[in-house]
Amino acid sequence: MRTPLPIPPLKTGASAHQKSYPAKTKDMIKVDLPKERAKDWKEVMLKKMAEVLDRNRSVRLYLESCVKCGACADKCQFFLGTGDPKNMPVARADLLRKVYNRYFTLGGKIWGKVNEAADLDEAMLQDWYTYFYQCSECRRCSVACPFGIDTAEITMAAREIMAAAGIATKYVTEVVAKVYDTGNNLGIWPAAWKDSCEFLEQDLKDTENIDIRFPVDEVGAEILLVPPSADNFVNIDTMIGYAKMFHAAGISWTTSTYCNEGGNFGMFLDYGNLKKVNNRILEAARQLKVKKVYWGE
Amino acid sequence: MVNQILFVVLPYLSAAIFLVGVLYRFILWMKAPVPLRIVTTPAPKTRRGVAWRMAGDVLWFPSLIKADMPLWAAGWTFHMLLWMVLLRHLRYFLYPVPGWVEGIQTAGLYAGYLIPIPLAALLIRRLATERNLYISILGDYFSLFLLLGISVSGFLLGVFFRTYIVDVKALALGLVHFNPVQVEVHWLFALHFLLVLVLLIYFPFSKLMHAGGLFLSPTRNQRANFEKRFVNPWDDDYPVSYNPENIFPPEKYSEMLKKPKSEDKS
Repeated sequence: MRTPLPIPPLKTGASAHQKSYPAKTKDMIKVDLPKERAKDWKEVMLKKMAEVLDRNRSVRLYLESCVKCGACADKCQFFLGTGDPKNMPVARADLLRKVYNRYFTLGGKIWGKVNEAADLDEAMLQDWYTYFYQCSECRRCSVACPFGIDTAEITMAAREIMAAAGIATKYVTEVVAKVYDTGNNLGIWPAAWKDSCEFLEQDLKDTENIDIRFPVDEVGAEILLVPPSADNFVNIDTMIGYAKMFHAAGISWTTSTYCNEGGNFGMFLDYGNLKKVNNRILEAARQLKVKKVYWGE
Repeated sequence: MVNQILFVVLPYLSAAIFLVGVLYRFILWMKAPVPLRIVTTPAPKTRRGVAWRMAGDVLWFPSLIKADMPLWAAGWTFHMLLWMVLLRHLRYFLYPVPGWVEGIQTAGLYAGYLIPIPLAALLIRRLATERNLYISILGDYFSLFLLLGISVSGFLLGVFFRTYIVDVKALALGLVHFNPVQVEVHWLFALHFLLVLVLLIYFPFSKLMHAGGLFLSPTRNQRANFEKRFVNPWDDDYPVSYNPENIFPPEKYSEMLKKPKSEDKS
């Protein structure tokens, strides 16, 4: 049965104080972004914004064709949870839309008041940092929208623009940096991954008295399994499940210490990192000469 | 003089602004590439399937049914009545009038009488709910009042202040055939006509472009043919490179794989 969640009354600024912890310098260096917020951040961001607009049809299209019908307004879990009006998908996109109107449309340039334009100033930047990081990019709003306007596209664009000026969060940059250091989001070192797999082999032998292998880095295996790294850390029953399934099917498989993570936090940062994290799967598959990649997250 | 401007200069000017503006907006949208596959599932696998999905989105607004039933009722009714009204008005611009246009005349007439109702509903909805009031901007009200103005003046023209229709048709045909004629019309018709011209001028600069935007929306017009490789045209601008701070680059993995297994364990 469909029982809709109660829609909260608007509470302006209810989640304005919930700001993500800013990125650390060491992680920013590892993900190839400016160490700290650029002195000329506004110019850098506007330049990046022009580039993002030219590279993504969705961004300009979605900024321009929203009719403010409000169908998405009560679909965002962040709005339902906080009641903060800026967490309504349309209002979240408006943060970018106002800046777009101000700097990229004729109407906004000459008569900003009427054309819903706003300067990219410190207050706006603070709003961007707060509310564009209060979106999980689940795209529920895009399902509700009569035109399929995808606020995740807007959010990703805004995060990419901020990242170009050295503005990002610790959570995202730290995880991406860990992938480049250890091959997974959790920071499990290759030796620890192997050790964990050996432990599971031994454990299965002891408890169920069966010999099932958990191959690691085996060149020439048929299948490369890229699990969520937590499967070999906390959800080990899932890991055991994969091994049993491959064992029963008689398929040769392997995990890779170079890429043992299916989740890609680059998506929350920028295109360069999104691609670089994904590229590890390809690279591992090439080096291990596998025929297929099984990839979950 | 006023007649000359309103019934000759402005119509051509606004038609030109409308056409050039819409074209310009489309070119701007089409120029930007679609780098990733972001189609909202469940999605069709074939182009024909996409055409059906689009037709559904244009004619039935299925997303809104699930998202907001009252909004769907008002929005869908308005758009369908608008189609009827637009098609009925073809009778003024075509000679001879095609049979099907004759056929929908009565229905179109009543559609025109009814159209202020869903428009008013949309306006009330915008003002009555806190959330919609918060997100509404000047442009939203302007569009609604403009359409209300056009539809109410049209209703009054059809029911209370009946214009001499032969003159109206002469005017419209004159414009269509680039041979404008001078006619005497009621001031209410002049207002109705003027508001339509304002709508034409306003259209390409406003959210009314959603009518065209829908067809380009990647979440709706892409296919779910995931087995086919999707290539991002500007992907090469982002070469994968590892900086010295990244301690596990691909070269290191190659070295690790070369080492014999036993040595690895120590």
